[in-house]
Amino acid sequence: MENLLDQSSLFLQQLVNGITLGGVYALIAVGYTMVYGVIQLINFAHGEIYMLGAFLAYTMVTVLGIPFFAAFILTILVCACFGVILDFVAYRPLRKAPRLAALITAIGMSIFLQNLALMIWGSQIKSYPRDMFPAIFLKPALSIGEVSMTWIQVFMLSITVLFMVILHLIIHKTKIGTAMRAVSQDKTTSALMGIGVNRVIAFTFAIGSAMGGMAGALVGLYYNAIFPTMGYIAGIKAFAAAVLGGIGSVPGAMLGGGVLGIAEVMGAGYISSEYRDGISYAVMIAVILFKPSGLIGRQIGEKV
Amino acid sequence: MKRLCCFLFAWILLTGVVWADSIKIPIAAPFTGPLASFGEGMKNGALLKAEEINAAGGINGKNVEIVLEDELCDPKEAAMVATKLANDPKVSVVVGHLCSSSTLAALPVYRGAKLPAISPASTNVSIGKMSPYYFRNVYKDDFQGLFLAKYVKTVKGYKKVAIFYEVNDYSMGLMLAFMKEAKKLGIKILGTEAYTADTTDFKPQLTKFKMMKPDAIFIPGYAPHETIIISQARSLGIKNVAFFGADGLDDDLMVKNPDTEGLFVTTPFLPDKAGPQAAGFVKAYRKKYGKDPNWFAANTYDAVGICAQAIKAVGQNREKIRDYLASINSKDKAYDGVAGKTYFDKNGDCLKEAFVKKIKNGKWVSAEKQLQ
Repeated sequence: MENLLDQSSLFLQQLVNGITLGGVYALIAVGYTMVYGVIQLINFAHGEIYMLGAFLAYTMVTVLGIPFFAAFILTILVCACFGVILDFVAYRPLRKAPRLAALITAIGMSIFLQNLALMIWGSQIKSYPRDMFPAIFLKPALSIGEVSMTWIQVFMLSITVLFMVILHLIIHKTKIGTAMRAVSQDKTTSALMGIGVNRVIAFTFAIGSAMGGMAGALVGLYYNAIFPTMGYIAGIKAFAAAVLGGIGSVPGAMLGGGVLGIAEVMGAGYISSEYRDGISYAVMIAVILFKPSGLIGRQIGEKV
Repeated sequence: MKRLCCFLFAWILLTGVVWADSIKIPIAAPFTGPLASFGEGMKNGALLKAEEINAAGGINGKNVEIVLEDELCDPKEAAMVATKLANDPKVSVVVGHLCSSSTLAALPVYRGAKLPAISPASTNVSIGKMSPYYFRNVYKDDFQGLFLAKYVKTVKGYKKVAIFYEVNDYSMGLMLAFMKEAKKLGIKILGTEAYTADTTDFKPQLTKFKMMKPDAIFIPGYAPHETIIISQARSLGIKNVAFFGADGLDDDLMVKNPDTEGLFVTTPFLPDKAGPQAAGFVKAYRKKYGKDPNWFAANTYDAVGICAQAIKAVGQNREKIRDYLASINSKDKAYDGVAGKTYFDKNGDCLKEAFVKKIKNGKWVSAEKQLQ
């Protein structure tokens, strides 16, 4: 009986871990999927925005002494600006060029930003010192038996859900959201209808990068490990999540992130921790094999 | 003007070569990347030894020049650095590499070029057997793992241990050695879990450990990851469980984290347990760098000393240096260094003492009870 209780609490705890990780993947995946929806570009530099988000929050808290929550909001704003600058510098000049040119530029920007971070912050893993760490985050928010959920997990999950709702409202209830949907369907016609296409694309980058930067700041705190190459793996995983859910679809990115996060944690917990990444990619490949458009890629006609 | 510049440049290059009539000893280790602080210990130890040799007149009148080769503890980079060194006719012996996986990647290159190498830090068991050109002045993991199991059993009295290892040659070798001895001593291994170097999420594995309720968790990896592992374990509510590891944790990074209090590790060198021959070294090191030498510094100091002795005796000939090193094969021929006596067995491995150090009040200190 006790063994059974242990097993079920182990499962629940792993589920909590998996959902938290999945939320992070979802936040990053949204950035990939939105940009893809609007300009059919896989923005490989998106993982680096996530990494910059983690470093920015870290630097603001430890060097400038800004409280974490203020630094968190500043990070989101700065990362949104980064996204716009990235589009302006790297992708806008290539709008009319073949898609491959923009893709290669995206890879180039990714390498550039990674090395920039390496120059600024060095290659050592950075951690928040104990006294700068918001104390509340270490306390358990709720615990039932052996299963516990810390405040930081609660915070991450609620932030993820909150911003997903905000994003949904922006896309479906506002003028700019309507414009985004229009541009994703047909750029030329949208322009003829009087939509500032470049402005809409810049806005898309701003939203996507804000979410990516936010994910970075949260993860930097959650795992307390920040390093210049962290965006690479997270970016690949989030890209896999976006593809899993159906690239171009925002609800798909959320679902894909969740599925991937849970698959990864359960794979590590029950099958083999040595092949953890392999298991999560295997899940992705299996889905793509049987449903090439992703989990909900086709049902949702619109692409934003 | 342009021509003048070219001429000047050529002149500097040419005379540079003429002036550089020194003996190159390359140190191959990670000097950047996550394990840079290990490499720094090696660099400091090597430079100190070279300085002392040169101050005493060099080797047969020639100065020793330490060349740093950065390989990031990445096996691919290590193989590239090894190829570069193997093709450099001025290199007759190499000191390196640091990580076992790097050493194993570089080993076939050195073997092919008949270039002898001494690793002051790679402890994986299989290295020595694979090449007659590889030597090391550090103990092997079969010894280190066995030592740790004995220490855990007799000094600490732990009965149930879980193991969290990294997927690399060093960590896995240690795990196997520890498990073999633990079985003999009756320590129960509750479970083993793995992680790869590119992850920072250890919570799924640690959650499993939490349910197993071990007395202690063995973490045979490298410091940058293990400090995060210990913090994540504590935040998951793994409180009254001790952590212990091996020499890959012997780094100042660990003491910066308040969660690591009580951690204990094996190490090949402790300044206050070393013999009288180390006193001068510890003093000179403190004076030059303002801190105590760690085991990477001590072992590299000795490795450069062994190379210098070999070059002095037989000159800069790869094959002759190898034979000379192989001839240091008994206690009375041993090189008497700051980290104990070094002599090689037929595989080029050596047997040296291990010590235990622990974190107490946020500082590394020698453990009260050693096991000799």
